[in-house]
Amino acid sequence: MGKRRWLLLLVAACALALGGCGGDDGDDEGGGDGGESGGTLVFAGASDPVVIDGALVSDGESIRAVTQIFETLIGLKPGSTDLVPALATEWEVSPDAKAYTFTLRDGVKFHDGTDFNAEAVCFNFDRWYNFKGPLQSSSASYYWQSFFGGYAKNESEDISPSLYKSCEAKDDTTAVVTLTKPSASMLGALTQQAFSIASPKALEEFKADAGTVDEETGFRPTGTFGTEHPIGTGPFKFESWKRADRLVLAKYDDYWGEKAKVDKVIIRPIADNAARLQALQNDEIQGYDLVEPQDVPTIEGDENLQILERPAFNVAYVTINQKQKPMDKLEVRQAVAYGLDREAVVNNFYGGRGVVAKEMMPPEVMGYADDVTEYSYDPEKAKSLLQKAGLTLPVPIDFWYPTDVSRPYMPDPKRNFEAFAASLNKSGFKVTPHSAPWSPDYLGRVDEGTAGHLNLIGWTGDFADPDNFIGVFFQSFSPQFGFRNPELFNLLDQGEADADEGKREEIYQQANRLVMDYLPAVPYAHSKPALGFRADIEGYVPSPTTNESFATVSIGGGD
Amino acid sequence: MSVAEAEAREIQLEAPSGLWHEAFHRLIRNPSAIIGFVLVFLFFTAAVFAPRLATHDPLKTDLLAIADGCCPGPSTEHWLGVDLLGRDVFSRLLYGARYSLLIGVVSVFIGLSIGMVIGATAGYVGGIVDSVLMRAMDIMLAIPGLLFAIAIVAALQPGLWQIMVAVGVVNVPIFARLLRSSVLAQRENEFVLAARAVGVRKHKILASHILPNAVSVLIVQATLAMATAIIDVAGLAFLGLGNPDPATPEWGAMLTDVNEYLQAAPFLAVVPGLAIVLSVLGFNMIGDALREALDPKLRGRV
Repeated sequence: MGKRRWLLLLVAACALALGGCGGDDGDDEGGGDGGESGGTLVFAGASDPVVIDGALVSDGESIRAVTQIFETLIGLKPGSTDLVPALATEWEVSPDAKAYTFTLRDGVKFHDGTDFNAEAVCFNFDRWYNFKGPLQSSSASYYWQSFFGGYAKNESEDISPSLYKSCEAKDDTTAVVTLTKPSASMLGALTQQAFSIASPKALEEFKADAGTVDEETGFRPTGTFGTEHPIGTGPFKFESWKRADRLVLAKYDDYWGEKAKVDKVIIRPIADNAARLQALQNDEIQGYDLVEPQDVPTIEGDENLQILERPAFNVAYVTINQKQKPMDKLEVRQAVAYGLDREAVVNNFYGGRGVVAKEMMPPEVMGYADDVTEYSYDPEKAKSLLQKAGLTLPVPIDFWYPTDVSRPYMPDPKRNFEAFAASLNKSGFKVTPHSAPWSPDYLGRVDEGTAGHLNLIGWTGDFADPDNFIGVFFQSFSPQFGFRNPELFNLLDQGEADADEGKREEIYQQANRLVMDYLPAVPYAHSKPALGFRADIEGYVPSPTTNESFATVSIGGGD
Repeated sequence: MSVAEAEAREIQLEAPSGLWHEAFHRLIRNPSAIIGFVLVFLFFTAAVFAPRLATHDPLKTDLLAIADGCCPGPSTEHWLGVDLLGRDVFSRLLYGARYSLLIGVVSVFIGLSIGMVIGATAGYVGGIVDSVLMRAMDIMLAIPGLLFAIAIVAALQPGLWQIMVAVGVVNVPIFARLLRSSVLAQRENEFVLAARAVGVRKHKILASHILPNAVSVLIVQATLAMATAIIDVAGLAFLGLGNPDPATPEWGAMLTDVNEYLQAAPFLAVVPGLAIVLSVLGFNMIGDALREALDPKLRGRV
């Protein structure tokens, strides 16, 4: 030992300390240029967009980019799920709920100068309907398949016949979309960015459909539509995109509506939660999405920062796979419901931003029933139910949770899992833990029904319709839940098809009561995801569906 | 003469001769050996007596304790505070030492025993057996230890014995090399030649004559290997390749848990991190001190 060694240790310690500082990649784009409009807003998302083509993506970051550049026929009132006119000013549904007539906004131009009209609308619908080959994969045209089902020519048996029949451009400002079956939820569905209207000229010229699909990462374009020329009608137009670095959008001066207040928006992907928080604290970015619950007090306590909250529009739940015995017995499922300490988890792990869920959709959605059967944490009752079912305690079960992920409805899956496992172990079960990385392993397993008896998952609504919640989960047999319940399936079919709002509400309320008695899953939380911004950013309106426009944002008052 | 040699002379004059006696006297004069010994002693005590010393059940969650947010620090009831699920950090620390000790000892033992056989065989038999075995060891040494362990665990699926095997296998080439050089150094010694002349069988020579002289080197390496084993185990657990049960009290896993909470509850990362650092430091210090103490070149006589 001796002097030399201590000196070496000191140098090493200094090197470590220095290494810890910095970590700033790339130049600092000055935000907050003062003044009430103009300036550049830098926003951080959690990952890079896949491609800027609404029809072929399903990840939040791509959709964020699409939302700024493109528009849909029907929009959402900012901050709510109420339908408002967007590219369509009026709409009429035929009595048989099969034909929708849209009156389109006049005088709108795409960013490339071409006219927006009914022909453009039908061009887009037909483009999606005629997707071929790899584009029919659910890793590509997920939202089309999710709502409309199939295509002009289904290339796989797993794809159902299409709900879409045709689109007709009666004149420049009238488009009629006809369906093959009645559907009362299409208006809500059309608010999704997947159905935004792109310039037909650009779609053709830049070969928007050319490319391959990778099951894990999605659409990989060979054309340049979604990477260099995404041309829409929205308040921002595409300026440049350096992958994994920044996407730059510029204000579109000929926008038909209220012009954007900022001149430019730069969206940067920063994957690490702590790095995003630090970037916000350092004013390298002026806002970011998905603030972890434990960071909320840090942001709220900083006078230069503010928290904005989205209304709860999600549900976190525990899947019960009835194909795995003994989950096919109702008493066992009830025992699971009584054996999960949902209140403790929601009250302690969501930073005050979660509410205990008593059914499989949030209260804001039509069709929510207040009088469903409720299950409070009761280990003794759970044990007696298991014994009544004729099982010897403890009942061994496999319980899965995902790693490497944070979801708005489930910020720390492992923590939720550990608390639930502990409470189930006190309630007559013996939990064997299993985990897998979120994408693609865990998601794949949950979808296929190979994620044990129970697994943790959730859902953020895409549009405000009960069909988008319990319809998605329980309208037909799915390997995830592994059950067939004709009463429930029929009820949900009716709800989707019935055009009468009042009737629909009753049907869905009945369905929710049935679901909470039958217990195909145990819901536990609705959360209000939080966004973090610099205190001088005004005008950002959080939306329950997470589709938010930067057009109303201004960088108010100097720094 | 050098300071070390002068010291050696002094020691030899003070105390009776003998490798172990001299080594011991050298050790107690060495401050880093003492510090290392204290740290390792604490580690062993924590690991062995964890059930007695722990104040709470390390697996018992207590969500009421974190009802006011994460996470309350040290208090009279919880000496090092509670973790994200309200579990007692002090108790988890002690049981984490147990886990590390168990895996460390077993994997070093695996590495040592297999490596010893390979190295001794290669050294004594020589020729093509030596070449083949040593090339194999070289290939294994070319891969950085932690990465190698990760690859093995990933292939075998995470689990307790898989980690032991992985960390053990990583140690094999190190011990093999060590033994081989020790054997080579001693192969031409007078007593070995004498034993061969008399007709003692090869393996008996190895076992009774050569190996005992390699013991000191083995002890030093085993101690250092223990240090690396603790890091490897923590590293594997941190990367999610540890015991699949997330409630397991293990220092590396305790670090993963708080990865997203570093701004909110930094203390929860400091405790297991410090435990890892101090344990590894302790073993390294003792290992280094032993190496110096047992160095035959520093002995007073030939």
